[in-house]
Amino acid sequence: MNLVDAGLYGVLVGGAVAVAAAVVLRGRARNVIAGLSVMAVGAFAAATGLAALAGMVGTGLVIPVSLPLVGGLDPLVLAPDRLGGFFLLLAGLVIATSALFGIGYAHGAAASRTGWTGFAVFAVGVALVPTAADALSFLLAWELMAIGSTVLLLADHAERQAVRAATMWYAVMTHLSFLLLVAGFGVLIAAAGGTSWSRMVTIAEPVASVAFVLLIAGFATKAGLVPMHVWLPRAHPEAPSHASAAMSAAMVKMGLYGILLVTLRLLPTGPSWWAVVLVALGAISALYGILQASVQSDLKRLLAYSTTENVGLITTAIGIGLLLHQSGQQAAAEVAFIAALLLALSHAVFKTTLFLGAGAVLHATGERDLDQLGGLAARMPVTALTFGVGALGAAALPVTSGFVAEWVLLQALIHTDAKADRLLAVVMPLTMGVVALTIGLGLLTFVKAAGIGFLARPRSEAAARATEVGFTMRAALVAAAGLTIGLGLIPGPLAQLLAGAVGATGIATSGLTGIQLGGLGTVILDPLVLTGLTAAMLAGIVIVNGIAARRHPRREVDLPWGCGGERTSPRMEYNATSYSEPLARVFGASLNTRRSVEIEHPEDAPLLVSGMVFNQETVDLVEDRVYVPAARLAQRLGDLARTVQNGSIHRYIGFSFAALLLVLVLVTR
Amino acid sequence: MNQHLFAQLIATITGVLLLTAILQIWGRSLVRSIGLLSVQGAALAALVLTVGLNAGEPQVWLVTGIVLLMKSVVLPAAMLRSAKLIGETRERPTTINPAVELIGAAGLTLIAYIVGVPLAGPDPDPARQALPVGFSLVLLGFWLLMIRRSAITQLVGFLVLDNGIATVSFLASGGLPLTVELGSSLDVLLVVLILGVLVVRMQRQQGHTDITELKELHD
Repeated sequence: MNLVDAGLYGVLVGGAVAVAAAVVLRGRARNVIAGLSVMAVGAFAAATGLAALAGMVGTGLVIPVSLPLVGGLDPLVLAPDRLGGFFLLLAGLVIATSALFGIGYAHGAAASRTGWTGFAVFAVGVALVPTAADALSFLLAWELMAIGSTVLLLADHAERQAVRAATMWYAVMTHLSFLLLVAGFGVLIAAAGGTSWSRMVTIAEPVASVAFVLLIAGFATKAGLVPMHVWLPRAHPEAPSHASAAMSAAMVKMGLYGILLVTLRLLPTGPSWWAVVLVALGAISALYGILQASVQSDLKRLLAYSTTENVGLITTAIGIGLLLHQSGQQAAAEVAFIAALLLALSHAVFKTTLFLGAGAVLHATGERDLDQLGGLAARMPVTALTFGVGALGAAALPVTSGFVAEWVLLQALIHTDAKADRLLAVVMPLTMGVVALTIGLGLLTFVKAAGIGFLARPRSEAAARATEVGFTMRAALVAAAGLTIGLGLIPGPLAQLLAGAVGATGIATSGLTGIQLGGLGTVILDPLVLTGLTAAMLAGIVIVNGIAARRHPRREVDLPWGCGGERTSPRMEYNATSYSEPLARVFGASLNTRRSVEIEHPEDAPLLVSGMVFNQETVDLVEDRVYVPAARLAQRLGDLARTVQNGSIHRYIGFSFAALLLVLVLVTR
Repeated sequence: MNQHLFAQLIATITGVLLLTAILQIWGRSLVRSIGLLSVQGAALAALVLTVGLNAGEPQVWLVTGIVLLMKSVVLPAAMLRSAKLIGETRERPTTINPAVELIGAAGLTLIAYIVGVPLAGPDPDPARQALPVGFSLVLLGFWLLMIRRSAITQLVGFLVLDNGIATVSFLASGGLPLTVELGSSLDVLLVVLILGVLVVRMQRQQGHTDITELKELHD
């Protein structure tokens, strides 16, 4: 038994201990012991993942199965390969951090027996999905993950109505995903004659395309790609924040792992339209997600839409990689795949930071509406700093992992020889435009999230009374933010490991820490050196500034816009809605924004204004135009069925009776 | 066993089974209905005994005992108890004319015959020849479910249906294995006990057990 096998046992045992602790213990002890056990699950998963990513191969856990009617099946095998190892590492890091946060954060329903049990089951499920080496154990782990997260989400249903609606959406979409996967894997299993991944690599065309469509639809639903993203902006805000972090950063990635599994491992020789489908899905999701995020004022809803955006970017990178691979530009294709994996890990760490930060804000103020926040930087310095780091990552700015990942993606796009292929000549420039627009809007969005939320003066009583959160929550925030910066400064070693996972050859560590994309000429990024140089240059400016400040001490300046008075109030500040108003105007058609202004007049003077109410809401276009009509159609069909099914028992018996007579007559005819 | 005697016995017993079912449809008294059910159960036990002895099955006495106990004693007793608890003795008046009910029953018996004869196969033995009786019991049980309103008679109909299934299986297979018979008997017992409780609760809540009044659908 080597490290990989031992780690897998560790994950299972940790999960069992967590469930036992959640059931047996109560109060504070439950939070601590169950939380630490789930942390252990995460730690074991991360260690196992790292070992597998580095190329260690274990025998894995092999569970022989046989069903009475089907006969001997391939055994259930849990043995991660290098790609699975990467996603296991990612999931492990996220789970460990969010469990640490949960120890201090979980209260009410999230700290209940159900809440912690759901979290533990969910954590084990997420960790097992990338270790599966056959379709059956993959689906089992997948369903474990789905059930755990649904229970976790539903924990607070008694208190808040919105939780029930959100869970309903989530449960429906997650089951849709599961059904599509069962159908897709069913097609593959029937064609391959077994459930093991290793049997499925030789599947020929029409069957492969059918399986591709079914599986990609299923995985896209879990990953939250448009138009199957509707559960994300509902489920993430309503879940407890450590669960939102784990769901958004780890579970959604399993959908991406599935897409990579299908396109790289199971069906590696697909036609080029597969790649175009992926690029289109990804590009639409990226744009739509960031547009929606840019106008949201609910912090967690904003983060949920940003998840759709990032997943879209990653899917685009995968699609570009496939497209380049098919046109024979191997070096650029490998860079694109590396970019996809870097984006995935980068999103995992910064989105964990952001969701945990949002959780800390929610914990301290009870608010997640940006229009009610503000002024938290002074009151919650650690949260503000770490959230800022996460926002830098989400905006893809330097010293964070987001910058490195998007830099690598852009290198793949720039270094493509688009003239070689007509398809590439069309797809590449469009993708470049989408990625550039997405990055720009992302910057605006996260300036809003961090700036409106944490700077300026508090916009509500709750924000004014906020205090810094407890030690475990701060520790989790610092850990997640530290990972974001660490990956941003020292990306080289990780990139080299990832190169092994996708079978790339040209990627190497440059110097100690940088990335060298060898296949594209000498393209090198060394953030540590760059940061050092920048810091050295900035140091000069800071010194000059300091000297100047000492020479001219600070003067009190009266506010120039107070109209001579001092009547400034937080209501005069820019808030989230006003900040994003230009965006809502420019992209109004695709955002489906509804706004209303009501003006109140005094009774005796209809020309004077005594008050104004401004209301703006953004209804998800896809939900409004696709899902609501579909639900209405189902409702109408259900009403039709009611004329047949009127509640009379005699009528029901009559139906069975008639059916029986019909069958008897037909059989003996 | 003498084949002539065997044929006579089968004919008599299946005759009793069919007659009791028809009388169920004719009558309106709940107590008599349950009594008829007990007679039908006894006839079924006799059928098991006859078929089993003819086939020379070793466990025939045990199976006969179980069937007699369940179908003729335990189930009717349980139903009688429910009926006493709710204090109903007569079927509630229906909208269907009794003559129509009987004509319907006759029609169903004909259908059962038409359907059952081909299933018996070419040149059947006396047991297989009687298969249509089993089918007609199933159909008549269904018919009872259709035309009756009281919850107790619904139970009666269900049990007639079950007796029909048992009859078909005994006649077609020449005796059931012990475990299968045991399993299905316990199943039916459980259903009757649960429904007995439900019937009493219906009576308590609504003052009657008319199932046509149970029309409201709930989520």
